[in-house]
Order: sequence, then C-alpha cells, then structure tokens
Amino acid sequence: MSAHFEEEYVVAPDGTEHKVQAWQNDTDAGKLGFWLFMFTEVMMFGAMFLSLTYYFTLHTQDFFAASHGLNRVLGGTNTVILLISALTMGLGLVKMKKGDIKTAKLMIWATIFLALLFLGIKAVEWTAEYHHGIFLGLPNLQAGTEHYIGHGQTLFFGMYFTMTGLHGFHILIGVGIMLWLLKRINSGKVTPEHNILHFNITLYWDLVHLIWVFVFPLFYMIGAGDVTGGAVHGH
Amino acid sequence: MSKTFYDETHTAIGHPKSTWMQWMLTVDHKRIGLMYLAIMMTFFFIAVSTAMLMRLELFAPGAQFIDGDTFNQAFTLHGVIMVFLFVIPGIPAVFGNIIMPLMIGAKDVSFPRLNLFTFWLYVLGCIVAVSSLWVGDGFADTGWTFYAPYSLTTGTNVIMTLVAAFILGMSSILTGLNFLVTIHRLRAPGMGFFKMPLFVWGIYSTAWIQVLATPVVGITLILAIFEKYFGIGIFDPSKGGDPVLFEHLFWIYSHPAVYLMILPAFGVVSEIIPTFARREIFGYRTIALSSASIAGVGYLVWGHHLYTSGMSDLAKTIFSFLTFFVAVPTGVKFFDWVATLYKAKIVFSTPMLWALGTLITFAIGGLTGVTIAMIGVDIHLQDTYYTVAHFHYAILGGVVFMLFAAMHYWFPKITGKMYSEVKAKIALLLIFVGFNVLWFPMFIAGYYGMPRRYFDYLPEFEVYHQVAGIGGIILFVGLVYMMWVLIQGWRKGEPCGSNPWNATTLEWHLPSPPELENFPKTPYVDFEPYEYHHGQPVVKFDENYKRIS
Amino acid sequence: MDTSTQSSEGLYYKILIGLLVLTAITFIQPSMFLTDYTVGAQMFIAVIKAWLIVMFYMHLKGEKLIGIFVLSTLAIVAVFFTIVGLDVTSFQYQDISPITKEAVHAVSHH
Repeated sequence: MSAHFEEEYVVAPDGTEHKVQAWQNDTDAGKLGFWLFMFTEVMMFGAMFLSLTYYFTLHTQDFFAASHGLNRVLGGTNTVILLISALTMGLGLVKMKKGDIKTAKLMIWATIFLALLFLGIKAVEWTAEYHHGIFLGLPNLQAGTEHYIGHGQTLFFGMYFTMTGLHGFHILIGVGIMLWLLKRINSGKVTPEHNILHFNITLYWDLVHLIWVFVFPLFYMIGAGDVTGGAVHGH
Repeated sequence: MSKTFYDETHTAIGHPKSTWMQWMLTVDHKRIGLMYLAIMMTFFFIAVSTAMLMRLELFAPGAQFIDGDTFNQAFTLHGVIMVFLFVIPGIPAVFGNIIMPLMIGAKDVSFPRLNLFTFWLYVLGCIVAVSSLWVGDGFADTGWTFYAPYSLTTGTNVIMTLVAAFILGMSSILTGLNFLVTIHRLRAPGMGFFKMPLFVWGIYSTAWIQVLATPVVGITLILAIFEKYFGIGIFDPSKGGDPVLFEHLFWIYSHPAVYLMILPAFGVVSEIIPTFARREIFGYRTIALSSASIAGVGYLVWGHHLYTSGMSDLAKTIFSFLTFFVAVPTGVKFFDWVATLYKAKIVFSTPMLWALGTLITFAIGGLTGVTIAMIGVDIHLQDTYYTVAHFHYAILGGVVFMLFAAMHYWFPKITGKMYSEVKAKIALLLIFVGFNVLWFPMFIAGYYGMPRRYFDYLPEFEVYHQVAGIGGIILFVGLVYMMWVLIQGWRKGEPCGSNPWNATTLEWHLPSPPELENFPKTPYVDFEPYEYHHGQPVVKFDENYKRIS
Repeated sequence: MDTSTQSSEGLYYKILIGLLVLTAITFIQPSMFLTDYTVGAQMFIAVIKAWLIVMFYMHLKGEKLIGIFVLSTLAIVAVFFTIVGLDVTSFQYQDISPITKEAVHAVSHH
C-alpha cells in the first residue's frame, strides 16, 4: 500500500476551494467506524439481556435465590478492578496525546495486568461453583436428575455462565489487542499525532466495562439482602 | 489506451507479481465486488440445482428418487445458500462495492483493507457451510430457520451451519460498517445527502440494517450453539426454556434482513427508471426518505412470522397493524416510479425490461404479503405454499431480478463491452415466463392447503406441482442462457463508450472500465443526480472533471 | 479534542470517584433503602454509571452525529424490550404452558 498520497482540492463554481476527503489518514472515519462496531456489541449483549429479563419475569424468586448464592465479595472486587482499569486505559490515552509515550505504555500494561487479575478471580469463582455442582453440563443442571435445581435456577446459571463467559472472552480479546497496541507504539505506527488506534482500543475497553456495569447488578446484586422474604435456601 | 482497474491494482500486503495473487490480495473495491459476484453466482446455481432436485422429486406424490430426510436437508441447503450466501451479500456486496464509491465521487471505500478481509470472511463462511454436507450426519435438516427445539435435538450438522451463518453475518456487518462510514465521509465536495443518487440511499439504509440487526441473529446462533453443546436451557423446554424466544430473536434479525435485501434492489430500480424514461425521477426526496423509513419501521414487524407459534393476541394485533404500516413507504416508491414513467419516452432496453418486470412481480409479492399480514387469513395460509410463493415473488421476483437488472445495467461500465440485447431479452423472457409458471400455481395450491417443506402430498395437489415443475425447467434454462449471454458479451462484445445508456450519475462520466482510482480529479457536485433536459443529460465535465454545462 | 490534558486528567479522576461512590451505593442499597425495589434501584444506579462512562470516558459529550446514532441504537433495543415485554406479559396460555410459573410451581411440589 502506498503510504503517501497527495491532498486534493477542488474549486467550486463560486470560486471557493474545498478539500477532498480521502480515505487515507481519516481519523474521524476510524472513530465513526469503531462506534458502529460497538453498536453491534450493544445489540448482541442487548439480546442476551432481553432473554435474561424474560426468564427473570417467569422465575423471579428462583432468580433471587440463585443470585443470593453468588460470591459478592469476588464479584465486587472484580467490579472495582475493572473500574480502575478503565481509568488506567483512559489515562494512558491522555498521556499519549500529551507526548508522554513512556507513561502511556505503562498505563496500558497496568490495564493488561488488571484485566488478567479480573480473569483470574473469575476463574476462582467458576471453580468454586463447579465444586458446588453448579456448572454447565453437570447433573444438577439437567432436568430429571435427582438434585435438579429446577427450571428457574438452571436458566439463571445458564445465562450467568454464558454472559460472564462471553464477557470474559471479550476481556481476553481486549488483552490481545492491547498487546498489539504496544507493539504498534513501539514500532512508531501509533504516535501522539496519529493515535486513533489507541483511542479506539480505549473505547473498546470502556465498552467492556460498560457491559459489566449491567451484568454485575443483574446477576450478583438482585439476590443480595433479604429479597427472597426468607425463602433463600430453596422451596 | 489508458490503464483500467484490470491492468493494475493496490494490494493489502506486498507487491505480488502473479495475476492470481493480485486478485486474491486486492483492496480495490471494484475487484472485490467482482470476486463476490463470481462466488455468489456459483452458489446461486448450486442452490437452484438443489431446488430443481426438489421440484423433480415433487413432480408426483410419493418418493421418486430421494427419501424424506434427504428432502429436509435439500430445502435447508437451498434456504441457507440462497439466504446467507447469495441474497444477503447480494446487491450490496457486488454493486454496493463496485458502483457506490463511483456514484459519490470517491476513490475507494473508507476501509479498503477491511473490505478485503470481509470478503475472505465471506469465503470462509461459504466453505464452512458447504463442508457440513460431508461431515458427520450431513447437512442440517431443520430448514434455514433452525427452529428450537428440533435444531437442538437433531443429529445433523446444525452446529457447523450455525457457525457458518455467524461468520457470514460478521461479513455482512463489516460491509455495512464500511459503507456507512464511506457514505458519511467520502462524498465528493458539494454532494449533500439529498444530492446522492437513490442507489446510494438504498445502500445507506441497508447498511444500517446490516450493522444493527445482524448482531441479534449472531448472538442467537451462538446461544443456540451453547444450548446444543452446553445445555444452558434458554431454548430447551425440558429446562423451562422457551422455543418461542428463539423465534423472536431469530426474526428480530431475519425480518429486517428482507428489507436489507430489497432496499438495494429498490435503489437499482430508482437508477434504471430515470435513465430509460429519460427524465428526472418523480419524488426524489420521498423515495430517499421512504428507504430510510422502511429501514426503521422494518425493525417493528418481525412477529408476523410468529402468528401461529403461541404469541399473545395483543402482540399479534400490534404486529399485524405495524406490518400493514410498513407497506406504505414501498407503495410510495411504486407510485413515484410509475409517475416517472407516465408520458415519458421510454427506452425498452434490457435493464428497463427487468425493472418493469419487477414492478409486476414485486407488486404481487408485496401485496400477497399484506394478505398474510392479516392474522385470521394467516392462520389458514401460514406455512403453506402461499407463503412460499409470496416470498419467492418478493425475493426472487424483487431482489434477484434487480440483481440481474443491475448486472445488465452496469455491465458496460464494468466490462467496457456490450452484450447482445436481443439474446438478453430472450433470456429475460424465458426467466420471466418460467418464474410465473413455477410460482403462481403455488398461491392456489397453498390456498387449498398444500403445506410447505413437505416431502409428500395428497393426489389432489399433483397438478400444481406438475405445472410448477415445468415452470422450473423453463426458469432454469432461462437462467443458464442469461449467464451465457453475459459471459459471451464480456468475451466478445462490442466496445461501448463511457455512457451507452445516456445516464446522468457520476459513474457514467468515467471511462468504461474505470481506472484504478476511479477519478483522476474529483468533481465538485452542485447538481441533482437525475438532471435531464429534453431527454439528454444536462451535466457535462471536461477532462479535469470541471463542469462545463 | 482536549486543549488541556491537565484538566482532562482531573476529569478522569473525578469520574472515577463518582463511579466508586456509585458502586459503594450498589452494595449497601439491598440492605439499606428501597429494599423491596432492589432490581429497579440497581438498574437506576447502573444507568447513571453508564451515562458517566459514555459521556466522559468515551467522550460522547460534544459528538453530535455519533450521539444521534447512539440514541437511535438504544431506541431500537428499547423497541425489542417493549414489544417482547408486551407479548410475554399478556400471554394468555399461562395455565397450560409447561414453562410458566404456575406449571413449574406445580411440578416442583411433587
């Protein structure tokens, strides 16, 4: 691909000069395109939230009970970790624009570290759930088995593992593209003047955080407190 | 002779010497569009052949040469290929890519390398879809709609088909994304939204559906895969899951998808009619805004696919009302087109005949859609041959006919040559006659109760199947002949100039075929797209693309 | 974009404090206030957090065209929720469907 191109100007009949927008070096196009991509993520998670809401209306008490059993300490810790990681990523972009590439890279590494920490805690949570017999494919979640936890809780955990799983998958992808971003910064392709890639990846990370802002209360917090009116441990 | 885009190209990486690699790695929107066309037409004929297989099997009651299970796989294969591999990429992937940037005065799309990547995603999706024919228990037998719970329990290769559809969906999303940014950013100076040609309006509205609706089916397919593989319970009644939820989520995409199919087709009609009526189109603004409103209202009507599935009566009523409502903007377009033709000196070229044919066949398709939008009527006609005839009149008689029209209209621009008009018209006649003989009887058969996707049927329906079978053969011959005429035109046709049709939009000011970067100089656009005076285009450019009239 | 990166850094920290405070409120709400309306309260807090993130971290404040796109997208999602919600809440086969509350309740009391 040719890296340089000549800017073109056209003269209108009234004599005014207009710059022709080329596809090369079009920062606003990069921003617009990335927002459109984020809309697709909103639609995907939106459809999952829709399904979750539907089954919540069918099995409200079971959802409260299942939610009560989730580990709010670990989930809450992850919430704060993700929150801080959004800060580090955002600060990294500010530093990059200011020209402080060294600190910008440090901030990206911090974000990667926090992201991996998040995944680690998630793994601990899932392992604990697995040992309690709560996991996809285990007998407790199959209808007709002796210790079947019932339709309501099965649907809750089906959506729980699916949504936190897909969210975690997006975190992993985020780590991947951050590593790629570091590589691009090191090779001089991303600079304080041309940083749309850094900007977009920061937007991506904000989206990942945004999804968790809704996932966390819907799974972990609805069953906090005594919302089940005492029927916390099943019927 | 100056160089065309066939002589030189930009590639994503490196400077390949071989012609083959130059095509495989090209980032030129025109070459990418042609590659889409080649693959899509190949799969089109595979799906047509599958349909011919079914028509031959159905020629008489009882089993002729395939069994019921194979028949189920056949209509699934036909549907999956036609919908996901052919019609949805359809006009946008080919003509959106080749022609849209030319129409707005751009040198390429906003993200050319993404465009190439998107094409290869499409190819990957095709490979995954087709290879499921030879893996395990063979192709899925669920119908292209993959309804739960059968799709969860069948042993055929549903997961591979779902993965293929997901990949193809990603390709569609990225195409839409690319086009949206291109249209917002790269229009020539002076070209506001209401100076864009109507084909670009069609592509723009379509791109919004591609970006916002496709992800919904994407996640639905993933949830179906998770259901099949991990038993998450969401669509499985034995765990309290609701198959109707699957239908809601599936059709939330798949209904807007049909607008995704037809909006570019309407855009093609809006280009052809002013050109061959030799006058400005009637109601430019209303046609433009109707494209946008079809895209918007189209999100609200999906439930008319669920009338007989167990929705509440309230929901059925709401959807019925909204479905009637969505027909209105399409009606606006039809009246605008007819008004453009009224008292015009019409040139009956092949593209114009295709467009006029569509006005008839799509009108039938659209109006029969309105009949089954009525809940009481639909209870009787749902999942009968009436429905099948309706959507084939709309999709084949609307979308695909317009793809053919676009192929004949922009053929000289893309190839620099002209096909034999006489032979092209004979092909059109064969296709048009065959099409109607094939599908019109199905309205009647469906009315009398012939169910769709049925391998066998009562003897009283035999005559309809026989007539349809004859129609199918005529149609098939016509399609093959049409391809032959176009290919011969490319190989041996007469050279045409830059504007054989005397059209007005920007692409007709370029040489045929265009150069690599389309416009050596970008024009300033201070004119409407369809300015004719006494049947001649008003706007003329000098060799520096400065306006001289 | 930002003319003063000092002020935008400060803004990032301010929003962080806001988000942390809201997260803390999320934790105490189920046992402290609006306890019978936990789902609604939690969603309300989530929407405020989301607004802060979208407007300031994602720099939507000041973007006109993209702002219109964001609102349109959310409107379409709202339409899906509304219509499916209307369907589900006016479902008239509650008693005989094997997956609704009543039937499930009956089954689980065997």
